[in-house]
Amino acid sequence: MIQIIVYGVITGAFYGLAAVGLSLVFGVMKHLNIAHGSFLMIGGFVSFWLFHLFKIDPFVSIPLAMIILFVLGGVLYKGLFSHLDKLPEGLKINNSMLVGFGLTWILDNLAILFWTSDVRAVTPSYTGKVWNPLTGLRIPIVGLGVIGIALLVIFSLYLLLTKTYFGKSVRGTAQDRDAASLVGINVERTYLVFFALGAALAGIAGVVSAVNYSVHPTVGFEWLLKAIIILVLAGFGKVGPVFVAGLLLGIVEGISVYFVGTTYREVVGLVIFILVMLKRSM
Amino acid sequence: MKTLTQWSKNGMKQVFTWGVIVLFLILFPLFAATEHTLNLLVFLFITIVLAQSWNILGGYAGQISLGNAAFFGIGALAFHFIAWRVGVSLFLALLASGISAVGLASFIGIPALRLKGVYFAIGTLALAEALRITIGNLFPRTVYIPTAYITSYRLVDRYYLALAVTLITQIVATVIVRSRTGLGIMAIRDDEEAADTTGVNLFKYKYLALVTSSFFSGLAGGVFAYYQISILPAFLFGPQWTFEPLVAASVGGSGTLLGPIIGSVFLIILMELFALTLGKGYLIIFGGLFVLVVLFLPGGLMEASKKIRKAFSINKPIP
Amino acid sequence: MLEVNEIDVYRGDIRVLWSVSLKVEEGTITALLGSNAAGKTSLLMSISGLIKPMRGSIRFNGMEITKEPAHRIVEIGMSMVPEGRRLFPEMSVLENLELGAFLKKARNAKDRAIEEIYEIFPILKSRATQMAGTLSGGEQQMLAIGRALMSRPKLLLIDELSLGLAPLVLQHIAEIIKEINVSRGLTIFIVEQNALMTLEMAQFGYLIENGRIVGSGETNSLLQNEQIKNAYFGI
Repeated sequence: MIQIIVYGVITGAFYGLAAVGLSLVFGVMKHLNIAHGSFLMIGGFVSFWLFHLFKIDPFVSIPLAMIILFVLGGVLYKGLFSHLDKLPEGLKINNSMLVGFGLTWILDNLAILFWTSDVRAVTPSYTGKVWNPLTGLRIPIVGLGVIGIALLVIFSLYLLLTKTYFGKSVRGTAQDRDAASLVGINVERTYLVFFALGAALAGIAGVVSAVNYSVHPTVGFEWLLKAIIILVLAGFGKVGPVFVAGLLLGIVEGISVYFVGTTYREVVGLVIFILVMLKRSM
Repeated sequence: MKTLTQWSKNGMKQVFTWGVIVLFLILFPLFAATEHTLNLLVFLFITIVLAQSWNILGGYAGQISLGNAAFFGIGALAFHFIAWRVGVSLFLALLASGISAVGLASFIGIPALRLKGVYFAIGTLALAEALRITIGNLFPRTVYIPTAYITSYRLVDRYYLALAVTLITQIVATVIVRSRTGLGIMAIRDDEEAADTTGVNLFKYKYLALVTSSFFSGLAGGVFAYYQISILPAFLFGPQWTFEPLVAASVGGSGTLLGPIIGSVFLIILMELFALTLGKGYLIIFGGLFVLVVLFLPGGLMEASKKIRKAFSINKPIP
Repeated sequence: MLEVNEIDVYRGDIRVLWSVSLKVEEGTITALLGSNAAGKTSLLMSISGLIKPMRGSIRFNGMEITKEPAHRIVEIGMSMVPEGRRLFPEMSVLENLELGAFLKKARNAKDRAIEEIYEIFPILKSRATQMAGTLSGGEQQMLAIGRALMSRPKLLLIDELSLGLAPLVLQHIAEIIKEINVSRGLTIFIVEQNALMTLEMAQFGYLIENGRIVGSGETNSLLQNEQIKNAYFGI
C-alpha cells in the first residue's frame, strides 16, 4: 500500500508540474491556454534531442528548454493571445480556449511533420534504477528527480511571487488591473512576461515527462486534460493548491488502480472531475 | 413563418440554386464518379452533418460543446449492433442511432447544461474522453460487418444515404433557425441574462439545441457505421470527430446556416490537396485559419464574403 | 501645471464629456464639483490615462500626454487615488505601499517613503501586515492615498474622497491633505460630490454638469455665489 502511495506521490508531483503553468496564467490573465499541452510536448522533445544528439542529461537540459519555451510563449502571446486582452472575461476565456486549440493543431502537426509520430523517451543511465530505503519499498531514482524538480519549482515560484517586485506586480495585476496601471505597472508587458513564464513552466514539465514517461507529438493533449482537471480541482492562481490537488489526484488514481485495474485509470480522474464540477455548479 | 412577399425573387433564386446543386449531387455517381471521389464525398457529408450539429449548439445557442464525439460514437455503435446484429431495416437502424444519441444527451445533458460557458466545454470534453476510454476497454477489438453484408456492399448506397442525411440535417436546421424556437435559442447565445428576464425558458431551449445537435451527430455516426466495413469502437469516440467539424463550422462561419457547409468543403479540399505531400499538414493550415477567425473574424468565411460584397457594392453608383 | 483642452470623451458609444477645459496651477488644491454621473470620474480617468479622449488635448508641464497609457502617466509625475480606492485586496498594507513605489526611480527611496507615509497615517503602520481588503473604509482611503504618494508624484489626483466615509474620518483626511499640500508643495486636483468640504479645502474650483464645465473661479467667490449655494448646498 505504501508503495502505491509512493508512486502516487511521484505521479502527483508531475501532475502539479504540468498544471502549475496553466493555472497561474489563467489566474492572472484569464487566458485558458489549451496549447499548454503542446508547450509541454515541445519541452519534452527539446530534452529528447539534446539527450539524443549531445548526451545532455535531461535534468540539466531543463534551463535550455525553459529558455526556448519562454521565447516561444512570448512570441505567441504577442502575436495571438494579446489580441484577446480587451475582451470581457467570459469571452476572453472562451476565445483563448479556442485559440489554444487551433494552436495545438498547428504545433502538434508541425511536430509530426518534423519529428514523426514515433514515441520517444529519454533514458539516461539511471533510468530504471531504484532506491530501496526499506524492504519492500522501491522508489525509482527518476521519480526522486520528479519530486525534486517539483519542490524546486514550488520554492522558486514562491520566492518569485512574494519576494520580487515582478512577482508582486503580477499578483497586483491579477487582483486589480487598473490599479496596477495606476501605480506604474505596464500591464501588457507584465502579461507578456508572465505568459512566457507559463510556457517555460510547461517546458519543465515536458522535460520531466520525457524522462519519467515518454513523449510523442500528441502527448500534449493527454497531459492537458490532466492539467485542466487539476485546474478545476485546485482553483487557479495559487501555486500550493495546484500541487496539493495533483498529489491527491495521483494518490487517488494509484489507489483506484489497485481496485479497478490500470485500464480505467484515466476514467477515474475524469469522473472525479465531472462530479466536482457538477457539485460546484449547484 | 415567411409571408408570400418574403418569398421574393431572392428566395426563389436560392431555392433554384439549391435545387440545381442537389440534383447534381444526386446524378453525380451515375456519370462522373470514381471510388475515390465517392469516398471523399461521403466523408464530406459526414463532416457537414457533424459541423452543422455542432453549429446548432455552439454557433446558435452559444454553448460550445467539446463532446460531440460521444454522440457520434454512440450513434455509430447503436447502428452497428442494431443493423448488423439484430438485423432490422436500414431506416430503423438509422433512427436508432439518432435516438440513442439523444438518449445519451438527455442523460448527461441535464446535469451538464447547468455548467456555464467554459465549464460546459471542458465538462463535455471530459465526458467524451471518459466514454472513449470506457468503450475502448469494453470493446477492445475491431468489429466487422458480418460477411453476408460485405459481399453485398455497394459504395453508392452509402453515398446516397450520406447525401440524404445531410439534406435532412440542413433542412431541419434551416427550419429550426428560422422558427420561433430558433429565436429563443439565439437569444440565449446573445445575452443569457437578458433572455432569462424576458421569460425565455433557458433550460428548455438549451435542451432543445442539445437534443437536435446530438440527434444529428448520432445520425452521422450511423452513416459512418453503415459506410465502414470495420471499426475500432474507441476510434468512434476520438476527439477528431469533435474538433474537425468544430473548426470547419467556425472557419466557415459559426451561427450561420451555410458556414458549416463552406467550412467543411474547405477542409476536405485542403485535406485532398495535402494528401500526397504533407499528409496531416492540412491541419496546420486549417488550425491557422481557425486561430485567425477566432481572433479577427468571428463570423468566419461567411462574414468575410459579406464584407467583400459590401466593399464592392459601395463602388456602384447610386441611381 | 495641468492643462485640459476641449476634450471629448466617450465611454463605449456614449459621449460623457463635451469640450471640457480646465487648468490646475502648480502648488494649489484645485477642485472639480459635480453630482453623480456628471462626468467627474471619466475626466480623471482620461487624465490618468485609463481612457483616451476622442478629441482635445491634455498637457502636463507643457508636455502632451493625451494618448499616454496609464503607467506612463505615473512615470511622468501624476498619481491617482481612484474612486472606490481600488486597493489590491489580497495583499497587505505594506505590499500595497511597496507596489505604489513600483517605478524604478521610486524603488530606491522606498523605505524612506514608507516611513513618511507611516508618519502621515500612523494607523497604517499598526496594520502593516493586514490584508488591504479587511481594512475599514477610512483606513482604506488612507492607504490609497499613501500608495499614490509612494511614487513621489508632482500632481496628485483624487477621485471621490468622501465616498463611503464617516464625516469625522473624512474631516481628518481632508486636514491631512491640506497639510500635505502645504508642507510638500504637492499640487492636488480633487474631484468630488461633497461641495462644502472641497471648497473649503481648495483654492480654485470648477463645476461640472452633464459632462460640461458650467462654472469656475476662486473658491471664496464660489462659496458666496447664490446660485451655487442653491444647487450644491441646498441653502
